[in-house]
Amino acid sequence: MSQDFDLETLVHLEQTLYDSGYQEGFAHGRIHGLIEGRALGREKGFELWEELAFYETFALTWKTIYTSLGREEDKTRKAHHIRHLLDLISQFPQVNPSASDSELDILKLSRQIQSRYRALCSTLGLKPSNIRASEADTLDAAQTNVEPVWKIENDQTMF
Amino acid sequence: MDLDSPWDDTAAPSISRDIEWTKISNEFTNVGYREGITAGKESALQEGFDDGFAGVGVPLGREIGALRGRAAALLAFVQSPLCVVEGREALLAEARAIASALANVRFTDVVPRDLEAEAHAREHLADDEHGVDENEELKEKRKMEGLEDMLAQLTAGAPSAGMGDKPRPTMEDVRALEDRLKALSARLGLPVERS
Repeated sequence: MSQDFDLETLVHLEQTLYDSGYQEGFAHGRIHGLIEGRALGREKGFELWEELAFYETFALTWKTIYTSLGREEDKTRKAHHIRHLLDLISQFPQVNPSASDSELDILKLSRQIQSRYRALCSTLGLKPSNIRASEADTLDAAQTNVEPVWKIENDQTMF
Repeated sequence: MDLDSPWDDTAAPSISRDIEWTKISNEFTNVGYREGITAGKESALQEGFDDGFAGVGVPLGREIGALRGRAAALLAFVQSPLCVVEGREALLAEARAIASALANVRFTDVVPRDLEAEAHAREHLADDEHGVDENEELKEKRKMEGLEDMLAQLTAGAPSAGMGDKPRPTMEDVRALEDRLKALSARLGLPVERS
């Protein structure tokens, strides 16, 4: 057995052991990351779109009501708000946009949708309800200066 | 005699060497494992988030939100002077009941199980390790929901009580509410919209 061979083995031993542990840990960590990320993504996606779909069908249902009553009010403020509200909601992404293709200002769009919904409620003579999720997001972002995309913190590789 | 000690002079030299080797190798492997698990977790968080967001959260949120939006609009319509159908009081009560039942549905009531997460948690339990991590924000939310349930039980006798000790609503209950909503639309003379 040559002396050189033994030395080389010893030099790499530490790294080899570390690497084998790292690989095993990485695989296990990935499972945890996927699980935890998935749980958070499910919840956030639900919160956001529960609110948006509320506005969407609220507006659509009122549109149907006016149509069925034979009151085509295309030129009224109600119809105007409904049209704009539906248009804004259609721009809201249903998948998490990455930073590269995200010219979209989510917070701005959320605020526009909420104010348009409030305006519609006002013309209908109703008290707005169900404004919740994205308003909380707005507050969070204002307090913590988090980027206005759905990003998990503490990971620079994301987006 | 402590066989675990690598410095035990009385132990046979080969045993000592083995123990020392195991100790050193474990140390390096464990350091790698610890750093690997953190890196692996961080590398997958966003992927998991995006998957859960688009695959489950958004479609489910859209479904529940759509029902709530329709219920709210129909309730407001029945309350308004625009609604001139016969039996308006009964329809109003039905619209209120549907809207209130839908408002009581929580994300955790309708979200499908994450079977992979459950399977992994069981593996941890079998290994007698700590369980799968839960996000702090979600943990807090679950805690609040638990408190809400307790309050609902405390005020179960009051007319405005929520669920009391009734079981939480399920997706089947949501489907039933959807059917009631369609029936209400029909009775109001409105075409049934897309789900």
